[in-house]
Amino acid sequence: MNFDFWGLGLQALNAVILIWLLSRVFWRPVAAAITRRQAAAQTLLGDAKATQDKADAALAELTAARAGIAAERDKVLAEAKDAALAIKADAQSEAHAQAETIMAAARSDMAREADTARETMNAQAGELAVDIARKLLGELPGEAVQAAFLQKLTDAIGDLPAQDRAALVAAKRVDLMCPADPSADAKTEITSAVQQALGEAVVLNFVTDPALIAGYELRSDHFVLHNSWQADLAAILKEMRHAD
Amino acid sequence: MNSPLESAALFYIGPVAITQAIVMTWVIMAVLVIGAYLLTRRLSLHPSKRQVALELLVDTLDTQIRETTGAAPAPYRGFIGTLFVFILVANWSSLIPGVEPPTAKLETDAALAALVFFSVIWFGVRGAGVGGYLRSFAMPNPVMIPLNMLESVTRVFSMFVRLFGNVMSGVFVIGIVASLAGLLVPIPLMALDLLTGLVQAYIFAVLAMVFIAATVEEGAHGPADPDPETSLQKKDS
Repeated sequence: MNFDFWGLGLQALNAVILIWLLSRVFWRPVAAAITRRQAAAQTLLGDAKATQDKADAALAELTAARAGIAAERDKVLAEAKDAALAIKADAQSEAHAQAETIMAAARSDMAREADTARETMNAQAGELAVDIARKLLGELPGEAVQAAFLQKLTDAIGDLPAQDRAALVAAKRVDLMCPADPSADAKTEITSAVQQALGEAVVLNFVTDPALIAGYELRSDHFVLHNSWQADLAAILKEMRHAD
Repeated sequence: MNSPLESAALFYIGPVAITQAIVMTWVIMAVLVIGAYLLTRRLSLHPSKRQVALELLVDTLDTQIRETTGAAPAPYRGFIGTLFVFILVANWSSLIPGVEPPTAKLETDAALAALVFFSVIWFGVRGAGVGGYLRSFAMPNPVMIPLNMLESVTRVFSMFVRLFGNVMSGVFVIGIVASLAGLLVPIPLMALDLLTGLVQAYIFAVLAMVFIAATVEEGAHGPADPDPETSLQKKDS
């Protein structure tokens, strides 16, 4: 066995040179590449983090904006609801007023129409009553009826106040209204009964008016003494109108 | 068959005998340097598969150094990594017919062990100062100074002998078997020699790292809290 110290030194020198060379051409470049890639990765991660933070901030801002929009929407909806309620109330009150006006007009029209109808009916009823009275009168003995009316006339004259009787006596012309022209005897009898009731002599002017139906009436310029079915029917119709 | 302890000179450069181991070392150096240059020419931020493989190798080495020393791997990467790669390639060069690995020779292993010895001093002084490095011999107490000094020599000597013994024995056994049983019989032994070469390269590199880390740590902070893995490796050594 022999140990070559020159060989040992040369191999040591070779190893040192190899360590130096590999450090320059292998270990450092690869380590630098790793460091560059790690730095690039860190940069990318940082950028990604910054982007994520920015996205989070944008999301938070958007969320806040959405909350604001929702609040504004609720406010607008509430205002719209209030406005709609106000419009509804106005429309209701206006419609109510219009309905009241229409109903009042309708009521007025109905009342007017009812009045018109009632007047028409009264008129018809009056005409009907006159027709009925005429037919009834046609079935009764005319002298008896007229005699009864003459008695009613004298009674009415008797019931007049003295002042009215005096005015009647003082009248220049006194018409005695008859439904039919009486005979001369009847005129005499009537004149006599009236004068007796008045207590004074008056000249009667006999006037025929079929509208009286039955009865006698005294008329002067300022005085009328109704005593006929026409007057009675008119009084009844007046009472009926008042009763309505 | 020649004695594995003998080295025949191929030629001489002055007084220096150039043996096959030295020539093979130069060849391995050329292959490694040129290969490393070619492999690292186009490193980019968008790595190819080749670059990824290189980065995986370097990152694994950095992780090993970081877990062993607890320090940044950059100062030790070149030395430890080159030791590992050179010893591995040298060990596996035995697979080439007619080639005797440089690590099967005493001078090569002794040179590597000597480099480890001086690197411990270099990194110890650089990391903890001269005082710190010298103080590392007084750990855990000054009584241990002679033993620690002796250990600093014997541990690298053991590395040298272990590497030489394993590689040389493998080559020697394969040579004997091949001379006796032909070409195919030594194949299992050659496969075993591959594993042995890898393990020895790993052990040599890790032990060098442990010695350097222990010296730097003890010089800087006193006795290091032994890491279980590190203690196990020390025990193996």
